[in-house]
Amino acid sequence: MSMSSDETDVVLTLRERIAANPRPALIWVAGLALLILLELGRIVGWILAAGGAVRMVIGAIPSVPWWVADNVADGLSGVSGGLSQVGGAIGFSVTAALVLIAGAFLVKSLFVPFSVSKKIGLDARQIGPDALSEHLLERLVIAAGLGVGAALILVTPVGGAVDAAVASLTNALEWVANGWTLSDRELISNEGHRSPDGGWEGTFLGLSPAIAWSIRVIVIYAYAFAALVWLWKGYTTYREHYREADWTPRDDWINRFRTHYWGIFGLIVVFGFVVLALWAPALGAANAEANLYSPYQNEFEYLTDDGQVESVAHGTANIQSRSQGGDSTVGIMSYDEYDRWAPLGTNPDGKDLFTFLAFGARTSLMIGLIGIGIATSIALMMSLITSYYKGTIDIATIVVSDTIISVPVFLMVLLLSVVFQQGNHPLADIYSGGLLLALIFGALYWPGLWRAIRGPSLQVAEQEWVDAAKSYGQTPMITMRKHMAPYILSYILIYASLLLGGVIITTAALSFLGLGINPPTPEWGRMVSDGRSYVSTSSWHIATVPGILIVLVVTGFNALGDGIRDAMDPESESGDAGATAAATGGGG
Amino acid sequence: MSQRTLQSEEEMMDERDDVMVEVSDLRTYYDEGKLFGGNPVKAVDGVSFEIKRGETLGLVGESGCGKTTLGRTLVQLEEATSGEIHFDGTDITTLSGPELKAWRRDAQIVFQDPDSSLNDRMTVGEIVREPLDVHDWKTPRERQQRVRELLEKVGLQREHYYRYPHQFSGGQRQRIGVARTLTLEPKFIVLDEPVSALDVSVQAEVINLLEDLQDEFDLTYLFIAHDLSVVRHICDRVAVMYLGNIMEIGPTEELFADPANPYTHALLSAIPEPDPTAHRDRITLQGTPPNPRDPPSGCPFSTRCPARIRPEEYENLDDTLWTQLDLLREIVRERKRAERGMSDRLKSLLGRESRFGSINEIYDELFKGLEIPDSIQPVLEQVADDVRAKNEESALELLNEEFGSVCDTDIPAYHPVGDDGRVSLCHRHEPGHDTPRAVIDRRHR
Repeated sequence: MSMSSDETDVVLTLRERIAANPRPALIWVAGLALLILLELGRIVGWILAAGGAVRMVIGAIPSVPWWVADNVADGLSGVSGGLSQVGGAIGFSVTAALVLIAGAFLVKSLFVPFSVSKKIGLDARQIGPDALSEHLLERLVIAAGLGVGAALILVTPVGGAVDAAVASLTNALEWVANGWTLSDRELISNEGHRSPDGGWEGTFLGLSPAIAWSIRVIVIYAYAFAALVWLWKGYTTYREHYREADWTPRDDWINRFRTHYWGIFGLIVVFGFVVLALWAPALGAANAEANLYSPYQNEFEYLTDDGQVESVAHGTANIQSRSQGGDSTVGIMSYDEYDRWAPLGTNPDGKDLFTFLAFGARTSLMIGLIGIGIATSIALMMSLITSYYKGTIDIATIVVSDTIISVPVFLMVLLLSVVFQQGNHPLADIYSGGLLLALIFGALYWPGLWRAIRGPSLQVAEQEWVDAAKSYGQTPMITMRKHMAPYILSYILIYASLLLGGVIITTAALSFLGLGINPPTPEWGRMVSDGRSYVSTSSWHIATVPGILIVLVVTGFNALGDGIRDAMDPESESGDAGATAAATGGGG
Repeated sequence: MSQRTLQSEEEMMDERDDVMVEVSDLRTYYDEGKLFGGNPVKAVDGVSFEIKRGETLGLVGESGCGKTTLGRTLVQLEEATSGEIHFDGTDITTLSGPELKAWRRDAQIVFQDPDSSLNDRMTVGEIVREPLDVHDWKTPRERQQRVRELLEKVGLQREHYYRYPHQFSGGQRQRIGVARTLTLEPKFIVLDEPVSALDVSVQAEVINLLEDLQDEFDLTYLFIAHDLSVVRHICDRVAVMYLGNIMEIGPTEELFADPANPYTHALLSAIPEPDPTAHRDRITLQGTPPNPRDPPSGCPFSTRCPARIRPEEYENLDDTLWTQLDLLREIVRERKRAERGMSDRLKSLLGRESRFGSINEIYDELFKGLEIPDSIQPVLEQVADDVRAKNEESALELLNEEFGSVCDTDIPAYHPVGDDGRVSLCHRHEPGHDTPRAVIDRRHR
């Protein structure tokens, strides 16, 4: 097929390109739809959980101005009543304005590609002084819009209507979430009891719980793997059929990563860990709610020695299944007294260790992602700003970051978590202290990350294409995003994946000391702590299995980071000192 | 000092070559706003010239002389410390915000290193298109169309739109950079050593491309280079820069054929001769350029000038001796500047040897085997005493008094030389002095 130069000039959008050759795209979308349909309930469940978190954050923001106002008023109440009211009002309005403007910057850069102020007919040059630039005006207009919206929701009945709408949507989603899903515990159930005639009742196809559970695990991992493969297939479909460029720098990264076996090992471990965390409720051999959280409110049936099927509370049964060394041990790959399948044995309380580990993976991943997410966002933003503007802001950031770095991270985490927990701060209650930990990690790790990527970002800022962008009038904001961020992002990705291992270790170490995540939320470090006195007994598995898992997962994240680095920057050596320091969590 | 320049050029100015860029007394200093004050780097230190519409003005000089900074200041990549740049009548140093952005369409820059001036993570199309996106030029579809046309115009193919810079050679990458500067249809382009990073074989192609584009789009160029043969080929006029000052500026052929300024002489004598048998006297400049934080108080070139004016009573001294005397002055000057260092002061306080040699060693090295006339013997001894007493200040004063001249004390004015508005910054053009050429011939040939 030959094309004249006029024909190649016809520019097609992605949508038009797909319309011109819909077959590969349709096949892929059909596959994706099938995959989603198989796990519809669980996926909707995740969306609900994410939505709940977003709701919580958005719900907390409007309370900030009131909180500040209360604090200011409290502080001044000793001086005089009138002053305290005025101070409170000032605190309220200043905080509200700051929150609105910060929100406006966020909303503008994320959701508003066009100019609102131009749409409503405002021109910076006509209405204001010289200092009022187009950009500032735009942000102010959006901030005003947000303020009006917030006031409407908080003060007028509109808020009630919004609440009702959200609630009905949530209800509908919940209905879907409770519906069909492939990884349903009940569908391939391993919870049943022996029947008097020697078989099993209540389990999947009457198979033994061990086999039923294994089938479920295999199905879930197979599904997750298929989903991953399908995403990869989507990328290759795009690359082959719809991408205009026949080569991009990204292709080289991927090709290099595909032959980097250490990196692939890391990817496999991380994949296994993430699936364990995401599908924790389905993967556990026992129902977490019944076995871990409220063992005395839930009962199950079992076959007694004299051939009767009886009911017993999980809590009561757990007491009989404790692993405390000697004869009272439910070890790896065994059934307990009540014929419950315990793939990794039980813990000293008689709870199922595998279920505990799966939920612990959730905790670790949650803390790691939130903490590193916060740290990387701050580090990326600061590195862009400091390397672009340099000068005073750079020096100020150096001072701040050095101050934070000068205190050992682990010590600081200890200190802050003790302060918050002893002070009964409301933050310390969310997720058994997990959110607090994540926030502390975010606040403490960004200076190290910023330092690590400072060199590359200064280097990028010196590139002539940044000057070129300035020479034709590109705004600093877009210059940073388009011409600097992509380069820094690859470095930060490497360090973030290394640091994630550090966070997991530090969390585990804290919980080992009894300070990190409080019971009943499962955490691997606490399990190591609980089992450490039985290491030399027959109940050695309690501390050993989580310990090995911690090592494996942290190694996996480091390997993945190495792989990404070598793929993106093949000239760098593997034994990079900075990266190694990051991997240990900066002394954690 | 530029008064005379302006007059002489006004006379010959007609409708055809009107002035597009007029720079007056421009200064660009670095490191001014530092927390602890200190001397700024005077990269561009009082420069005045004009660029006429449609011409190519060459800007030459050794590395570090401030030519790139001057070019960057002209397109407002650096902020001028003082002075004015009039672009079609508007002083662009005062522009900001939307006005600056609007003006940027008219003045663009081509960078030296095509590896560094193109963002590797973007396709060629995105790179060339970005200026159009910034200025919201017509519809996205028309922008793509224009980018493809430009790619063709600079000698690439329309299909290269979706390629990445990695897939191109250095010459091709520089063509992409040229295409990007052309997107906004500028009137004035600063070419910052556009071919010096390229293979020699590719240089000519890019130079020819730039010349063709100039004809096609009526462009005005400021061509910064250190390759003098390229400058001679492409430029209508040339400005020779040294230590932040323009030493000589005038029509290319005239300047190359009959240089007026001593620095131009020295620079031109450094052009390699293709014929290895040809004999040519190269003027070797002694020492290195002075630190731009601390330029000489008189003529910027006075410390190294091969035609420096010498006091009459010493006019008959041997040339070799003069060279050594000038070197001595440089050494004392450098010592005076460096002696301010804290650790050296401490060392000398403690009686320890600092990193400077003793004055005896210096004298040995400078004057060994030379016959020192009685007339200067006492002066040298006094200088040695002062230096031993750590009093470089008075040693330098004495040296200046004895061996210095108007070159070291007064900044020269621009003197018209030649017939075509050429000017040169040198005291030797004043009445009563020999011309630089005569002096250089006498002293160095």
